[in-house]
Amino acid sequence: MSEENKNTEPHKYETFTQDEYMVMKDDLLRPIQKIGWAGKLWIVFLILVCCAGVYAYFIQEMQSKYVTVSLRDTTFWGVYISNFVFFVALSLIGVLMSAVLKLTHFEWYRPLSRIAEIIAVAAIMLAGVSIVAAMGRPDRLHYLVLYGRIQSPIVWDIIVIMTYLATSVILLFIPLIPSLSTCKNHLKNMPKWQMKMYEILSFGWEGTPEQWKILKRTVKILTVLVIPLGISIHTVTAWLFATTLRAEWDSTNFGAYFVSGAFLLGAAAMIVAVFVIRKFYKLEKYLTEMHFDKLGKALVLMALIYGYFNVNEYLVPAYKMSGLHKHHLVNLFTGDEATFYWSVVIFGIVLPAILPIFKAMRKPIPLVLIALGVFAAGWFKRYLIVVPGQTSPYLPIQDVPHSWLHYSPSMIEMTIVAATFAATLLIVTLFSRFFPIISVWEVAEGKLEGKEEIINYK
Amino acid sequence: MEKYKYFIAICVMLLSSLTISFAQEKLAKITLTFTKVDTTNVCNALVTSEGLPVKEVSVNLFVKRLFKPLPLGAATTDENGTASFTVPTDIPSLDGKLTFIARITDDENYINTEVSGDANLGTIVVSDNSNIDERSIYAGRDKAPKYFIAASIIIISLVWGTLLYAILQVIKIKKLSTANKLKTKTK
Repeated sequence: MSEENKNTEPHKYETFTQDEYMVMKDDLLRPIQKIGWAGKLWIVFLILVCCAGVYAYFIQEMQSKYVTVSLRDTTFWGVYISNFVFFVALSLIGVLMSAVLKLTHFEWYRPLSRIAEIIAVAAIMLAGVSIVAAMGRPDRLHYLVLYGRIQSPIVWDIIVIMTYLATSVILLFIPLIPSLSTCKNHLKNMPKWQMKMYEILSFGWEGTPEQWKILKRTVKILTVLVIPLGISIHTVTAWLFATTLRAEWDSTNFGAYFVSGAFLLGAAAMIVAVFVIRKFYKLEKYLTEMHFDKLGKALVLMALIYGYFNVNEYLVPAYKMSGLHKHHLVNLFTGDEATFYWSVVIFGIVLPAILPIFKAMRKPIPLVLIALGVFAAGWFKRYLIVVPGQTSPYLPIQDVPHSWLHYSPSMIEMTIVAATFAATLLIVTLFSRFFPIISVWEVAEGKLEGKEEIINYK
Repeated sequence: MEKYKYFIAICVMLLSSLTISFAQEKLAKITLTFTKVDTTNVCNALVTSEGLPVKEVSVNLFVKRLFKPLPLGAATTDENGTASFTVPTDIPSLDGKLTFIARITDDENYINTEVSGDANLGTIVVSDNSNIDERSIYAGRDKAPKYFIAASIIIISLVWGTLLYAILQVIKIKKLSTANKLKTKTK
């Protein structure tokens, strides 16, 4: 906005009219205003991967699933379900990085909250897609409503996913209203439809005290609501396993184990997202080294908590080594899956629990490398939770072809999984191209209120 | 002399392969009979070929189950052409009737043969359905416990009620805009 406009229209649209806010606004709207060739190429690449996934799903449904998918009688849940668990875990990023920090007055959450919320929305949407991909008869999806039992964890999983998705979308949208008004008033040379979209979605926002009061109260209520919902969604997902008769999943620890793992994954995903957004949208002024420092400390805490639940989950049964547990645990510790298992333990728990303790490791580049390790280990960890234990059922496996005893995902399955990742990234990328990825007003509010944590960080 | 040896060897091989191939085409018939020896149930499989009993033929016995036959064991026929099997007494069945399947598979002399026969050797499963009309956590969808249904409805209503409230607040924000107020006034 020009100097003239600033002087002639004070307090017209925004609560914050300070110079600092105007500079900040320009910085944060820049990614929407301008998209380079690299950005376009990235979007095209993601769309192509998504199309490959849609085509793979078409083949999966049109041909015999015995040919297109590696799932058999014993291993009936494969990469689709482990991918589903991964995405549900990832969706808890909104709970940790936005709601918990906001309610506990950790002021550094401000530039992170919207990033966390859009990742949460994208992740929970793709978790639903993963479930549909795993269904033998997706045409019977509505049977869950028509014939489902309210006592069943599967029905509750559907209820909680839908509720969490709705809550996350509303929680993303309401704090976005002032930002949409900012877009409407300050973006220049944008297509007409885009400006119209901002006008409709900003719901006549003028920043009046009454409007602010309503907005903040509603956001606060939703922030409180999203925490138990987020914990419920992942606990119910854990119960899907814990209530199924397999030795590996016979655990009372599963709910807390899953939730703590999700928080660790959320911290790692946040570090990676902040690094990428900061770098490519040149937002170093807002996503500062302080955020990496704090996120690094959060990563240590989450890794320690997750490590504790892993000790409960693996070492206690390993001490007893009873029956079918023995087969599964020996397979993980020293058997076929040992390399896989110990890599996940090292990169997914040990390194993030130790390395970021040192300040040098909480700098952006080392920390993002650690976080990438946690992120990859996080996916494989879900695979290790879901798949290997299924080969040790309570009833013996008899008279089946040898290939049924071991599961390795087919190309069709892996293409669909890759497409779910591409779709998540596409949703986040497109969102950041049309809406401010950092909440302008929340950051401005923090600065205006003189939040010590933000201003005096050295 | 060497050539002669090779010729003889090839002839022997051809002859033996012909013999084997013809031998595998021999038909065998299995007849199942069931007897009780003391307290043990015995299934006898009599194998005959061209009306004569056949000895030293391996027979596999199965019992028909829901998905696929359950193997009970394998036995070789004796001089009378009979292979005997002890039938376990604890095979569950709805009415006590079991269907047994006897098979000759991959025998040197006889082609694959299968026969099945019924016998009342199963243990009748008695289902206690006295609690079928009770409401419980493991019952059908129409028999969920009342407290569970009530708690579910309360939780879902509270959460979705809050979401509805949030949406109404957004509409309220819209109504509070001066542009909207002006519109209302001019009307």
